Amino acid sequence: MCGLDNIIAIVGKEIVRLILGLIGVLIVVVVNALILTWVERKVSGHMQKRIGPKEVGPYGLIQPIADGLKLLGKELLTPANVDKPLYYLAPVIVFIPVLVSFIVIPFDGFLQVKDINVGILVILAFSSLSVLSILIAGWGSNNKYSLIGATRSVAQNIAYEIPLLLSLLPVVFMANSLSLKDIVEAQRDGWFVWRWQFFAFLIYFIAATAETNRTPFDLPEAESELVAGFHTEYSGMRFALFFLAEYTNIFIASAIATTFFLGGYLGPVLPGIVWFFIKTYFLVFVIMWFRWTFPRVRFDQLLNFSWKILIPVAFANLIVTGGILKL
Amino acid sequence: MGKGGFHLETKEPIIKLAIAEKFINLARANSIWPMTFGLACCAIEMMAAAMARFDIARFGAEVFRPSPRQADLMIVNGTVTKKMAPTVVTLYEQMPSPKWVIVMGNCAISGGPFAFEGQYNIIEGIDKLIPVDVYVPGCPPRPEGLLEGLMKLEEKITGTRRFPVPEQKW
Amino acid sequence: MVKEISDKIKEAVASVEPVETPYEQRGYHLAIEATRTNIVDIVNFFDKSGFYLADMCCVDYIDYLEVVYLFNNHNQVCRVKVTLKVDPDKPSAPTISHIYKIARWYEREIHEFFGVLFDGHPFMTYLFLHDQIDFYPLRKKQVPVPEEDKKLLNSFNPGEQEDGFFLNLGPQHPSTHGVLRVVVKMNGEYMLSAEPVLGYLHRMHEKMAENRTYQQFYPNAARMDYLGALNFNLGYVTTVEKLCGIEVPERAQYIRTITAELNRISSHLLWLGAFVADLGGLTPFLYTFDDRENILDILEAVAGSRLTYSYLRFGGLFNDVDDDFVANVRKFIDRLRSRFSMYERLITGNVIFINRVKNIGVMDETYPLKYGCSGPVIRSIGIPFDIRKHEPYAVYDRINFNVATGTNGDNMDRYLVRIKEMEISLDIIEKALKDLPTGPVKAEKIPKKLKPPKGDIYHTVESPRGELGIYIVSDESDVPYRMRWRVPSYSNLMTFPQLAEGSLIADAIATLGSYDLVIPEIDR
Repeated sequence: MCGLDNIIAIVGKEIVRLILGLIGVLIVVVVNALILTWVERKVSGHMQKRIGPKEVGPYGLIQPIADGLKLLGKELLTPANVDKPLYYLAPVIVFIPVLVSFIVIPFDGFLQVKDINVGILVILAFSSLSVLSILIAGWGSNNKYSLIGATRSVAQNIAYEIPLLLSLLPVVFMANSLSLKDIVEAQRDGWFVWRWQFFAFLIYFIAATAETNRTPFDLPEAESELVAGFHTEYSGMRFALFFLAEYTNIFIASAIATTFFLGGYLGPVLPGIVWFFIKTYFLVFVIMWFRWTFPRVRFDQLLNFSWKILIPVAFANLIVTGGILKL
Repeated sequence: MGKGGFHLETKEPIIKLAIAEKFINLARANSIWPMTFGLACCAIEMMAAAMARFDIARFGAEVFRPSPRQADLMIVNGTVTKKMAPTVVTLYEQMPSPKWVIVMGNCAISGGPFAFEGQYNIIEGIDKLIPVDVYVPGCPPRPEGLLEGLMKLEEKITGTRRFPVPEQKW
Repeated sequence: MVKEISDKIKEAVASVEPVETPYEQRGYHLAIEATRTNIVDIVNFFDKSGFYLADMCCVDYIDYLEVVYLFNNHNQVCRVKVTLKVDPDKPSAPTISHIYKIARWYEREIHEFFGVLFDGHPFMTYLFLHDQIDFYPLRKKQVPVPEEDKKLLNSFNPGEQEDGFFLNLGPQHPSTHGVLRVVVKMNGEYMLSAEPVLGYLHRMHEKMAENRTYQQFYPNAARMDYLGALNFNLGYVTTVEKLCGIEVPERAQYIRTITAELNRISSHLLWLGAFVADLGGLTPFLYTFDDRENILDILEAVAGSRLTYSYLRFGGLFNDVDDDFVANVRKFIDRLRSRFSMYERLITGNVIFINRVKNIGVMDETYPLKYGCSGPVIRSIGIPFDIRKHEPYAVYDRINFNVATGTNGDNMDRYLVRIKEMEISLDIIEKALKDLPTGPVKAEKIPKKLKPPKGDIYHTVESPRGELGIYIVSDESDVPYRMRWRVPSYSNLMTFPQLAEGSLIADAIATLGSYDLVIPEIDR
């Protein structure tokens, strides 16, 4: 223990917290992805009158581990004529914003890697990066389907970034802070979703579904049109990284919704972290529910929906909130 | 060491990967992702195997990947014509190894009902072009047949069978 | 109607002598022998009189080749056969592809299989066959493909001659439901042109027919359209029965109707799921499959297989149905009726779905005339053309039923028509079950080796996808001299290039899904 104290004394408490936190985040990311793949397959199964994975471990619980091990053991195939630096880079880049976003999410009153006073800006700035990796993947793959998927993804992310931001701003106004922890604490009197921000929540949730490329907004990887979209040419672990990033993005999107609108870790009786995960996973379940219920929207409908409906409504909501607060 | 006799110790591998290998094979056998690839009649039965009643998802094999790059298993389910054959071979080559092939239905096994004297358009057996692991005969085979083919493939990968073979009562 | 057309064509085209033929035996009302000089005028006449080109094929009589054009009318049945003799050594005929667009494909097909060159055809390339083939497969004698023909046939290489962003949809693509390949020229998300390439599943059914006896050909009919196997089976069986004049017992006719309608429902159910899956919604696919399994159970109990039934025999059925069958069908009718409201809520009422299909892929009244498309595709335009009503077979003339029609001819209407058709099929089954008579299910004294009298016959039935026509030429042996299948998906698919032009790729895929294509049926 003496050694640890020394280290802490030398490098400072914050750094140790950060390193431990990062390790924790990595574990959470992987475990979360494993759980979500299992949940997705079970949810889809039960919604479709099937049972889903069952034979691999009790209730198919070992299924995601088998998948992960298998993907680890797959050949890393690099197709001819790809743009090699870009092709290799994309799956790595897709993972960075995911990790950074986790740092500022308050899982509990004290369980937060680092409470930055511009927390939400960090998340929004880094989550915009993921579209870059999709673009790189689509361009570097030298595949027409990938390219179409990537261009779709860029247009879609630009369109939905704006309502996403606009729907979060009223909450920031009300909490008077950009720090996620302060925002949660501001909800001690009641969740923001019930305090005049129901529409903001709705808009956020729709935009987040689009940002995470989930049905009905899964155009970048629309299976019936674009085979597998931007990751058509990726195999093995590289594909697994995209997969991992997708599920982690879903988790982050739900976690932000929980933090901003559903009172984060606040809740009676149970410890905060349990409440946090209950709320977050419920939202994740709703996103999955969307996927297995709705057909896909068309590309122009998707953009129209954002520019003509979501953004004006979000903007009006922002002005009204601002006006009321000022008065 | 010490297994009796005069076996040279160097015969044993220095790093024993057997256990890791076993685990990875177990993982592979339990997570066989087929490619979304339909040729003819048998494709409908393959779809039926993935649907509610037969539910191939129980064995973790419901993740039909449309891209060959992400698939482990190619189910050749239908007649392979001479026009289609180059595509089938390309698709097989696009899959990353380890990869497996299940041939479903008589057409792909041997040409089935369409192999006759003077035929000019079909490949009589896809195994002339790509290596095949499991043959599932039938015209078309029932979905249970495909599931049994999957079991056979798992047996081939791991060396042990998932379920005991049912007793034959006739 | 027949008399009227016969008189009119005599007036319109000089030196034409229409011969009235017995419809009950031949399946067509008028036969016209055309010559090289007046064939275009004759076809023009039919085009102007509102006829569509139902089929076009070729028969090799060794001394001469005969190109057969079959016309029909949507309003009132009047089938006309026009034949044109062609020299077998240097076969050529004038093209009619500028009059009927569907002839563009029929002529390419005839050129591939018989070597008949159509003068003035704009795009004579391989449609079905692979490019290593060195003879004309359906000619009775071995005729090698000349070098200049080979060059012509291999001239379709998109992307090499012109610039542009070409995309290959298929042959392995999730939305083509099989091995269709569509070469698409794109501008961003928009399609500039689409050219289907067929033949990835050409299984030589027509060639096989010339190598098999009539009885040996049963299984082929089922494998041509694996989703509507019983309808194809029924079409084949009734054609040969008509050719030989075999009477079928009453009970067999009723059971044929019931099983064919059950098969139609199972086909439509699969289409429904696949269509919504094309639009991105996967769950309805599993629901429809769940319902479909019930039909498969019922049919498996009587026919012995799940998919490719060869249940019907010349003169009757393979075996009789029992009381369980009747009870199970009744149970299934109740079940499916209660499920329709669920589909209504899950699919029809879904805003995203409505926006995706409404006013997309709109066909107008010219399509059925120019392309000869049929089935739900043309009923969605508002033309109540249904072979079951117009040229009844089995017991459809004794059962009162409606024909489902739409108004706009868009994807939504094609969807609604099929849903309505399922309900109508349930009604038909219910009525047929009520009247189901007792008695034998097999005609007596059907010879082991069926040898139909000399002559030809064209007979049609309504398959789940539309008009299925079978043209058989018999030479009094136990093997058909020539058997030609006019398949509905073929002419339906032909409309795709025109509908897809200028549309978004997502819409084009929805349209492709709305046709209910079965590729082996197109490729044969």
